[in-house]
Amino acid sequence: MKTHTCTVSFTLNGEKKTFSTRPDEKLLDLLRREGYKGTKYGCGQGTCGACTVIMDGRAVYACLLYAMQAEGRKVRTIESMGTHDKPAPIQRELVAAGAVQCGYCIPGIIMSATALMEAEKDITDEVAREYMDGNLCRCTGYEKIWTALRRTIANRAAATPAKKTSAKGGKK
Amino acid sequence: MKLCEFIRPESLAQARAALRKLGPKGLPLAGGTALHFMPGKTPVTAVDLTGLGLSYIRQKGAFFEIGAATPLADIQRHRGPRWAMHEICRRISTHQIRNVSTIGGNICRVFPWADLPVVLLAMNAKMVIYSGKLKEMGADEYFSSQPARLFRGGDLLAAVKIPVLKAHHGFGSVKAARNAAAFSMVTIAALLEVNDGRIAAARVAAGSAIPFPRRLPSVEAALTGKEPSAGVFRAAASLAGNDARWCGQEGMSAEYVANLAEVSIVDALERAAEFARGRTE
Repeated sequence: MKTHTCTVSFTLNGEKKTFSTRPDEKLLDLLRREGYKGTKYGCGQGTCGACTVIMDGRAVYACLLYAMQAEGRKVRTIESMGTHDKPAPIQRELVAAGAVQCGYCIPGIIMSATALMEAEKDITDEVAREYMDGNLCRCTGYEKIWTALRRTIANRAAATPAKKTSAKGGKK
Repeated sequence: MKLCEFIRPESLAQARAALRKLGPKGLPLAGGTALHFMPGKTPVTAVDLTGLGLSYIRQKGAFFEIGAATPLADIQRHRGPRWAMHEICRRISTHQIRNVSTIGGNICRVFPWADLPVVLLAMNAKMVIYSGKLKEMGADEYFSSQPARLFRGGDLLAAVKIPVLKAHHGFGSVKAARNAAAFSMVTIAALLEVNDGRIAAARVAAGSAIPFPRRLPSVEAALTGKEPSAGVFRAAASLAGNDARWCGQEGMSAEYVANLAEVSIVDALERAAEFARGRTE
């Protein structure tokens, strides 16, 4: 049976795009073919998290999804995050904590952490562990990554204005 | 799995018609996260089921109805009166998988390590199957053998109905795994109905350490009529070998797995008893 060529349209890092693809092409392969090489190929079977991207606000493995499954969705890759000169808060803290060794897992770690920061308001360690349980790092032993993540969470909490209490005595 | 075409039906009827026409060359596709466990060289046409409005959780009378295309992450995050499904969903695979993998995908083709069939057997869930019209099938019949048998003709799973647990019901599930994202070594789920300090009825199911998930009737019988106590739970769990032939796994003898299963049964029963006493998490 002949494999059909098809097109898929989705919003990639804020821009509407249409790509030519094949039904069996994985989203990861399409992204890398189109130059979004910050998203890494690691295990190719949904275990390591190096290929993590954000689709409609949720962290997903690009190596498991067919590109066609992204139709009409909003996909964000590591390229949507900060730059060398203007890193995102989590990127800044990862560097400051010395959490980046070989760096291969870091794009996926950043995307999972970003999904966490954007979806959750009050982030406990338990919630953070839940969001980060699909990303492996073989260099750091995780401690410095956790240091960076906790600092990012703490900085955000400190920057968020405390809820105003009502004049009648702080009704919640 | 080799895909040669990808189609997006807009209704259950369209999806069923497409699958009936395609026959073995059609592949119902939801999250698709388990397809790499299904190597196949024959090209198939993917029939995408995620655009059919089957992603929802709502309470209807005495049941929670979960759409077949509902991601596990949504089930994990849902909260409702005496809701218990989040417990096991939190333990399935990784965050990224739970965001994509669906309840339907987990139970239409049951892999040996699957956790949800165990829970649905204990819960006495009903599966809603679309075959031109909607019909319900109880968990005991649905999981009597590989459910994929039910869908070869193009029929589709539309929803799963979970009974809303009553005040005297207790539910507990336990998954033993090497680490957070690993496949289960053994999964146990237990539903207890406790009346006047005694177990009026019990449903206990096991999976992963046996070839296919199943209930444990010897354990259930040993619980019925007894007080929910640690001694009763241990005695009941010791009978599990009457119902299940535990399989050794990599690095684990069958005897070790049997011990692990018995301990897990006791843990699940204790969690169920706690739930009946008011545990919410």
